[in-house]
Amino acid sequence: MRNFSICAALLSISLCGLLNADEQLSMSDSDKAMYAEMVENNPAAMDIADGEETFNRLIGEEAYAKMLGVKAKDLPKYIAGFPRFVKPAGKVVTLAQTLQMAMADRGQNVPKLESKEIVTMSAYVKSLANDQKTNIDVKANKQMKEMMALGQAVFEERRGGRGLSCNSCHSPDIVGSRLRMQPLPDLGAKETAAAGTWPAYRMTQSAMVTLDKRMQQCMKNALLAEIPLGSKEMVALEVYVTNKTKGNAIQIPGLKR
Amino acid sequence: MERRSFLKGFGTAAACAALLPRMASAADEAKKVVGPNEMSIETAIAAITGGKPLTPSSKVSLSAPEIAENGAVVPVKVTVESPMTEKSYVKAIHVFATKNNNVRCANVYLTPANGEASFGTRIKLGGTQDVLAIAEMSDGTFLSGKQNVKVTIGGCG
Amino acid sequence: MAEMKTLIKIKPKTYAVGEIVKIDFMAMHPMESGMRKDKDTGAIIPAHYINEVNFLFNDKLLTKMITWESLSVNPVLTISLKVSGAGTLKVLAKDNKGQSVESTVAITPKG
Ligand code: HEC
Repeated sequence: MRNFSICAALLSISLCGLLNADEQLSMSDSDKAMYAEMVENNPAAMDIADGEETFNRLIGEEAYAKMLGVKAKDLPKYIAGFPRFVKPAGKVVTLAQTLQMAMADRGQNVPKLESKEIVTMSAYVKSLANDQKTNIDVKANKQMKEMMALGQAVFEERRGGRGLSCNSCHSPDIVGSRLRMQPLPDLGAKETAAAGTWPAYRMTQSAMVTLDKRMQQCMKNALLAEIPLGSKEMVALEVYVTNKTKGNAIQIPGLKR
Repeated sequence: MERRSFLKGFGTAAACAALLPRMASAADEAKKVVGPNEMSIETAIAAITGGKPLTPSSKVSLSAPEIAENGAVVPVKVTVESPMTEKSYVKAIHVFATKNNNVRCANVYLTPANGEASFGTRIKLGGTQDVLAIAEMSDGTFLSGKQNVKVTIGGCG
Repeated sequence: MAEMKTLIKIKPKTYAVGEIVKIDFMAMHPMESGMRKDKDTGAIIPAHYINEVNFLFNDKLLTKMITWESLSVNPVLTISLKVSGAGTLKVLAKDNKGQSVESTVAITPKG
């Protein structure tokens, strides 16, 4: 009985093979409270501290604000509106992409979106907007309107080998159902607070994960063709998903299963 | 059973099941591995108490979720009733995951300067089991508290 | 390996002499059990975990911890401190590969 492999298996990325298929359990309120308390000691706080150091070393708030054409003091509110159309980019971009732009601007080597530098810096920069309400404006200009429409199309398109779309699991009439004991989250619900809580620490992965990466994980698990990070389709998905929680306060880093 | 109807409707079970065989065999293989610090609960308790009696006590409160949705991160909090003075204090709190390969999680040696005998952390649980806390009191007695934690691993997300 | 990253938090943020505060210590650490296999090579990943953490207040030992691989990845450790006055809280953490890190935070009671 003692020969448990502590967590060896638990820590592997996909947990699907290990579940107790017929047991349907859910947590009591006191259990939920214990988990909720964990948000206060979120290990991703260390990633954010790291991101702050990297950001101040490589870019700096002044230079960043200047590149975006906003005053440093207006940054939090501006950050709460991403993805948005950014003039120097000439297109709708995510917060992470603006950090790549700022680095290119300064003649630095530009790390990939999934690099530690960009991930931790984007989490830090988004945390500058903590407590601000998500104020994405999908009608702000024709570029945003176009991205919103594309995002919705991608969300609803059945791109999977199993004929699934994001909407198959995240549509309003299905959310709340359970998939292998995991309630299907309503991406627009206050409790999920989806867009405002990513980057988040994923306990199943013991690491901080960004929203685009999280969406890729859904694609992988549901056998949908994977959309590359930074692609137009991925940015559009982020626009669409972020717009679902418009008005929710930003709380970075989140803590997720 | 909302879940079932959902699964029927979308064939998602199949999507998940596609991942099943590989994961299961990886888990089986891992089970054979013995960790470097393997220790049973009997041995671990004896190492702490030196054979002295261990008394279950309401003074030791251990809180952990009854159902942990992820065995890799299970919050555990222990508090022990004690004045925490030089005369009477809790010398140590020991936390065990009674069925892990190495049952020891942490041995926490306190001092009166802590003001309160409390310890909190997050542990990995290899499956459903009791989490046990032993309080080593300054008078040489050993008190214990425990809680069963059911580990469920759900979701395809 | 890069230096172990750590974070110390005191809760609540403001406190007076005589009050009991919570100290949260977090460290970025893989906490490898020594039982996990590398997905590609099948080789066992060697155990690598924090095995000792000492909390000192004004250089006097407050709490000593012996820790094991059963703690979660990126462990969080919480203890109490009865604030006896101003000073420095130091946390020394070390792992089974001999890597160690020292982090400090100021204890500054109000009033
Ligand atoms: C097979 C069903 C399924 C499909 C298809 C699916 N998801 Fe998910 N998704 C889930 C489940 C289940 C969770 C929550 C898992 C958990 O609790 O960790 C989730 C979580 C999420 C979250 C995180 C919510 C939060 O903040 O906690 C986002 C964002 C998301 N999905 C987006 C998408 C997108 C975009 C797509 C399409 C590319 C998609 N999902 C397709 C099942 C699905």
